[in-house]
This record gives sequence, structure tokens and C-alpha cells, in this order.
Amino acid sequence: MATAPQAPAIRSRWARSPFYFNSASHLLRIGREKACNLQELLEAIRTCAESSIFQHTFQTLEEHHFIREGFSNDFSHWAFASCNEVGLAERLAAIDVREFTSIATLRERLVLIVEEYLQKNPRAATRPAMEPFYLMASDLVVVPTPYVARNLEEFAEGLRKVSIHGIYYHFIDARLRLKLNNNDFSVWLETELDLAQAAARLNRIDIYTSTLEGVRRGILKIIEGEIGRA
Amino acid sequence: MTEKNPERKTVLEENNTTAQEPGLSPEERAAAKQERPGTEAPAAPGTKERRFRQTDLPPHFIERRKHPRISTEMPPPAAPPRLEDYAAIIGKPELDEIRFLARQLRGKTVKMVNSTAVGGGVAEILNRLIPLLNELEIPTRWDVITGGNDFFEVTKGFHNALHGGDYNLTQQIKDIFMAYNEQNRQRMEFAEDLFVIHDPQPAGLVASKSPNRGRWIWRCHIDLSNPHQGVWDFLKPMVEQYDAAIFSAPAFTRQLSTPQYLFYPSIDPLSEKNKELPEEYVDKVCDDFGIDRSRPVITQISRFDRLKDPVGVIESYKLVKKYVDCQLVLAGGGATDDPEGAVVLQEVMEAAGDDPDVIILNLPPWSALEINALQRASTVIVQKSLKEGFGLTVTEGLWKEKPVVAGAVGGIPTQIIHKLTGVLVHSVEGCAYQIRYLLTHPEFAVQLGKNGREHAKENFLITVNLKRWLLLFQILLGVVKPKLVA
Repeated sequence: MATAPQAPAIRSRWARSPFYFNSASHLLRIGREKACNLQELLEAIRTCAESSIFQHTFQTLEEHHFIREGFSNDFSHWAFASCNEVGLAERLAAIDVREFTSIATLRERLVLIVEEYLQKNPRAATRPAMEPFYLMASDLVVVPTPYVARNLEEFAEGLRKVSIHGIYYHFIDARLRLKLNNNDFSVWLETELDLAQAAARLNRIDIYTSTLEGVRRGILKIIEGEIGRA
Repeated sequence: MTEKNPERKTVLEENNTTAQEPGLSPEERAAAKQERPGTEAPAAPGTKERRFRQTDLPPHFIERRKHPRISTEMPPPAAPPRLEDYAAIIGKPELDEIRFLARQLRGKTVKMVNSTAVGGGVAEILNRLIPLLNELEIPTRWDVITGGNDFFEVTKGFHNALHGGDYNLTQQIKDIFMAYNEQNRQRMEFAEDLFVIHDPQPAGLVASKSPNRGRWIWRCHIDLSNPHQGVWDFLKPMVEQYDAAIFSAPAFTRQLSTPQYLFYPSIDPLSEKNKELPEEYVDKVCDDFGIDRSRPVITQISRFDRLKDPVGVIESYKLVKKYVDCQLVLAGGGATDDPEGAVVLQEVMEAAGDDPDVIILNLPPWSALEINALQRASTVIVQKSLKEGFGLTVTEGLWKEKPVVAGAVGGIPTQIIHKLTGVLVHSVEGCAYQIRYLLTHPEFAVQLGKNGREHAKENFLITVNLKRWLLLFQILLGVVKPKLVA
């Protein structure tokens, strides 16, 4: 009796180049700008260093990785908690950093949202906030880890063992580094193991509705699924 | 991790009560565990399952509240932990990252200088941080500046003035400050690779900075948001000679030409104040102080100081008590050696009146374990400060996974993201409402506690602080070129 041809065994597939797990450590620098109302925030967003925009949007996701709800970027949180401007906070919170491959375009979007809001609500511009917004920036140092993956099993093992900062570095920080709407894990799966579908599914994991540990679990579930298919 | 229940000599023991006497007799324990109907709120996290009303309190509790067992002997200091001891808390990958960062600095030497070897938060931090740096093979020396009474009077005056107090800054005062800094500068050697000078007292040592050797860091532990202008104008030129300045919160900084970094103050999760405790020890401490663990416990730990608003906390408690049967514990020190503290303690006792459920504890400085147990026994932790530094008691509460209600002052908003890692309040009424809400919505209280602990773990532990030092050392020594933005 003839048997259907079997899919190639994924389990035994070896990557052409290994995946080196890194992590990242950040040191916070205190900037010179601060905003005491929304007009000042708008000015600060226009003029601050790119590293400040990065800090308050991308980096805050790592710093508050354990919170699932109510937090997406520092500008949104401040508009809500210190300025009581819920409409603005909602619009800022809707910004998804994954759509941006450069800080310049992210800055433009932030400016546009605040400008539009203040045009419609001019009195909100100079209303004093309860707490000032201090612009910060972060110095990032990449830290290598001992974990290296040459196949899916080793990749899953590395994912389990690397610190949460490693997950952040490869999954979120990578988007700006790669200048693609993608992440290090998906790129490796697709280019080294020809797992385009798994890579795409992995890239769709929602970083705003789960914690970074949740992201880790989501990635592992996809990888373990691929291993199980072998 | 558990610790042996420490045996300490207590006031009652000195009065010939046996050390083995349990806090409650079996009958009292049985009474305490008896189910009582009619309580208003669902079981709040941190309380024992069964509860009874204040009117049902066994006489034992009333007696203990009048005569709490407070230890009278200072315990011997515990040995500082090793880096490996933190693995169970932060995980091996995190520890590996610290070791990796340290490896690149191996052999680099550090000198830390402050103004006191014992007492005070800075000495407490250095006592923990320096052994860890040395263990990582970054030889770190701790020097303390010396001076006469005139010098320390000047520096105390500076301290108050930098917090916004009035001060008459004369040329003589400036001369005293500079003369002692110069004297210490001559006495010390400056051969290390990195110099970390803590607070304003030794700031003048930067005159020894050489263009060819060493990087100088000024670590400012105090809030400079509203300083006496004259004192700040005097210190600022010294501060601007440093290669970096470190502050505890963005709000505490001044405009400086020096790069400024943010290092949150930290707690040591393995210290007496923060380590895990056996439940039996927590029970014992509650017994010693007459705290009924079957009902919610609201706690504020702070010295008896008006800026901590203990009377405001009592007012909040009274508003809560109308709806939820609970107890209030106000525990702190400072009322024995500080005349103003004694006055505030008296005010607090008057505000409490004859309510037996307000438990006021004036604890000696060696009560870290007892404070740890009180925090762990609490249902809600309050820090209703009117003015605050960073507020490490808030950090301690977060670390113990407790819902924290705190005033939105000083460094507290950095720690408490409103309704996510705790609750910020601005008034007695707001404080009362939030406590009530937490006591009647235990699932929300549990979530705040969990988030709070993660927040503390990510940002306010000594291991995170150690990592920040290693990163800063690397950056200043040029071991690594940081990436500003991806």
C-alpha cells in the first residue's frame, strides 16, 4: 500500500547560521527638558533627542513588561494620569510601535496626535499637569548570553532560559535595528530554517495585550508546535 | 527561603516572663479562630480566613496593645549575602548578565567616599553594595571623610538648606566646608580608576581630579528640586567638575552641564527588613504587639514625623472604620532620641484616643525583622507622606506584594503607577476611600500587589542597582560605547 509522501522532518533541520541570544541593559539618563502642560509636552516631543522618544515608547514596554493593561507609552500615561485628558491618552495609547521602523516617523505621529488634540481642545494646552513630565533617555549596552541555537530544539531552550530583557531585545528593540516590521526571531526562522509561516505567526504576537513573559510563552508555543509537527 | 525564628530578649522577658511563652494560649487561639458572622467585607488578602469583630477581642489582644513586647537588645549584624544568594530571586540569566558586565571591568579599582560609616541610608547601601563589587573582582574601597563638629554642623545646615530650608550662608561657613574638604583631600590617596563621592559633604574632593586618570561620579541622594539658592550656587561649580552626576528621581535634579543619570534607591531583598519570613514568626510578632490577624490590618511604617502625616492616617482609618472593621498599625521610631518625634508621638496618641484598634509602636532602630513581619501581616500598606524623599517604605511594601496607598509626593509616583502598581492619594478622604476599596475588592488588591512586586523587582532591588553601577563604570571608562537609540 502506497503511503503519502511525508513533510521533511523539521526536527532534524539545522540552521545555516546559528541564532545567538543576546540581552540588553539600559542606563537611564535624565534629560534637560520637562513639560508642565500639554503645550510644553508638544514642544518637547518636537525637539527632544531621538533617544528620548525611544525611551518613552519602546523602552517603557520593557520597563513595565509585567503590566498587561492601561499602559502602552509614557506620553499616553501622563496625558491620562497627570493631565486628565482621556481622549488624548486613548489616541496616544493606540500608537503601536511595531508599525514604526524609524524614530523620526514615530515622532511625527506623536506630534500630529497632540497637535490635533490641542487644536480641538485649546484650553487643555496650558492647563497645569498634576506632575511634570521629565524627558529621559537610555543608554543601551548589548550583553551576550551563553545561549546559541542551531535548530528548533536549541532555539526553544534558549527562549526558555534567556532573561526577559533578551526577549525584549530580540522581539521589540530589533524592529528599529532591522528597520523592518519584523523581529530577530522571525527573521532567523524564515531565513535560516525556511519557516515563513511560523515566523509570520510569531511576528503577530500582540505585545500590548500580554506581558513580556506572555510574549515568551506565545513564541514558545509556536516553536513547540513546529517541533511537534516533525 | 526561610529563616530561623529569631529569639530576642523582650521587655516582658525582662519582667520574668518566659521566653517560650507563646503569644496566645490554646484557648485564645481557639477563640480567635472561631467563625463569627456579620463582617461587612469579603476576606481581604493578607488576613487569616476567619475574623471577629473588635468587640469580640480576647483580653489578650487588649493587654498586648497596652504593653507590646518590643525587643530591647540589638541583634548581631547578619553577614552580607553573596551574589549567588540572589539567584533564587532574580534568576540565573539576570545574574549571568551582571557577571558578564563585571567581567569587562575586572581589576578596575573604585573608591567610594561618604561622610559616615554607620547609620543613615547611604552607609546601609554601601555596606551591601561594596561587598558585591569586591566579589565581582572590582576592588572597591570605602573611605569616610573626617571633620570636627564645626564641619558637621555646616554640612547639616547645608542638608536642610538644600531641602529648601532657610540658611544664612556666610564666608566663614564656606571656609569651614572647604578647609575640611581640603584636609581630607590631603589625607586620602586618589589612585583608583573610579571615584564615587556621595552627597554634598565630600563634594570638594573633586579638586583631586586629574585629567589623565580616573573618572569622578557625584551620587546625590537628596532632593535638590527646591534648594537654598546660595548653598546650591556654592556647590554647583564643584558638582560640574564631575564626569557624571546621579540622582534618585528626575524631579530631584538641577540643570547641570554634567551628564545626569537616574539610579533609583534600592532595597536588599535578603536584608532583615525584606527577606522572606516564616509565617510562624509573623504570627509571633503580631502576638507580641496585640495584632489580630483575623481582621484587616492597615499599616504605616515611618518615624513619628509630621511630614509622614500619621494623624492624617488615623483620620483616614476612622473614615474606613465606619464601613469595614479593621485595625491600624502605626509603627516607627524617632520618638525616643528626637524631641520633635516625641511631640508628634503624643499628637498621634491623642488622635487615636481610646480606640483599641489603633496600635502605635515606637520601635527601636534594630527592629528590622519586626518591621518586616508587620509589613507581611498587613492587608494594606499606607505611606501618606506630605513630603518624601524616595520613600523606601513604599518599595518595601511593593516588594512584599502588598497593595500600597501612598501620597503622590517625592519619589513615590515613580514607584506607584496609579491603579497599576498601587494607589496614589492626595487627601485624607482619598486615602480612606482607596483603603476601603482595596479592603472590599481583594482581587484588585492582589493584582496591585503582584504588579507592585514585579515593579520593585525590575527597578528597585540592589541587584538592579549593582547592574546600573557596572553599566555606568563601563560607559565612563570607555569599555563599551552605549547605543543611544536603536
